[in-house]
Amino acid sequence: MTTSTTSLKTALLVAVLAPAALVFTGCSTNQVRNVDSKGPQALNTSGINSQDWANAADQLVGSLLSSGALDKAPAQPAVLAVDRVINNTQAQVDTDLLIKKIRVALSQTGKVAITNTMGLGERAVVASEAAELDELTTGKKAKVVAPHYTLYAKLIQQSDRINSVTQNTYSFQMSLISVKSGLTVWEDEREIAKQSKKAVMGW
Amino acid sequence: MNTNPRLLVSSLLAAAALVALPGCATNVNTVERAQSQATPDFVSDKRVVTDNTLARTVRVNSVNQATVSGNLLKIQATLENLKNNPRTIRYKFEWIDQSGMAVNSPNETWKTLMLQGRETTMISTVAINPRAVDFVLKISEYKP
Repeated sequence: MTTSTTSLKTALLVAVLAPAALVFTGCSTNQVRNVDSKGPQALNTSGINSQDWANAADQLVGSLLSSGALDKAPAQPAVLAVDRVINNTQAQVDTDLLIKKIRVALSQTGKVAITNTMGLGERAVVASEAAELDELTTGKKAKVVAPHYTLYAKLIQQSDRINSVTQNTYSFQMSLISVKSGLTVWEDEREIAKQSKKAVMGW
Repeated sequence: MNTNPRLLVSSLLAAAALVALPGCATNVNTVERAQSQATPDFVSDKRVVTDNTLARTVRVNSVNQATVSGNLLKIQATLENLKNNPRTIRYKFEWIDQSGMAVNSPNETWKTLMLQGRETTMISTVAINPRAVDFVLKISEYKP
């Protein structure tokens, strides 16, 4: 009698707990999926996302190529050095997210050769060291090609807020400067504005 | 207290108009030169419609092309919002070379475009690879 009651209780407990275990396991499972970073499924946040970087790079490159400024270089392909990229946004971002995309696109046109002996980043340091080493081993002065143009960029963020709606406007500014004359031969600006609404109830 | 039926109907109509009119407020009126001086190089296009709702909402009026920087193809499409309400779409250009192979472009991405009611606007892009000779313009409805 006691044994059969205990068995019944155990069976009931299992019957109740088993589905509960399945349900809770479902809740704790992390669902991961691969998405195209440039596709419609990419997350749209109030910050600059992967699509925004690609969009800005595409529009700036399109503007630069359409301007014909690179066609007026003294020699082809035009030699370009990447100058500073100033980030005046609130976000700590690697500016290569923009600059690398522009470098890749310009290189693919075949109209630009980008020098690494000056300008930004560790590449310039390594290139300079390699040139020095080459000079030491060969005894000949390394022949460095001077750039025809330098590329300068700036990122700016402006935040506006009315009631619960916040708008972040990101400006991507870029200028191409002729080394010989110091004149700006092309410049453009692209803006991406993002509005986000804070929930009335929430933390 | 007697209520004038005419006054009541007029008031109701006025109230209904007040509700309805803001819906049309985003429509865009335009003015342009009567005889256009531009001579665009229009592209004869082939269209594949898989979303009839979208096709009834946003129409591609024309596609024209130009060559920039010597040998790079530039494509521009003119889009029109056929509805009175603002519409947001996504679009993307893809490039194809002489042998029919896709030309990868690192920055060609789905872009978001908002059209006001009855607005006509132009979208364009430049092929960064001189091998690109053909293009595909993809348009889809924006789903946030």
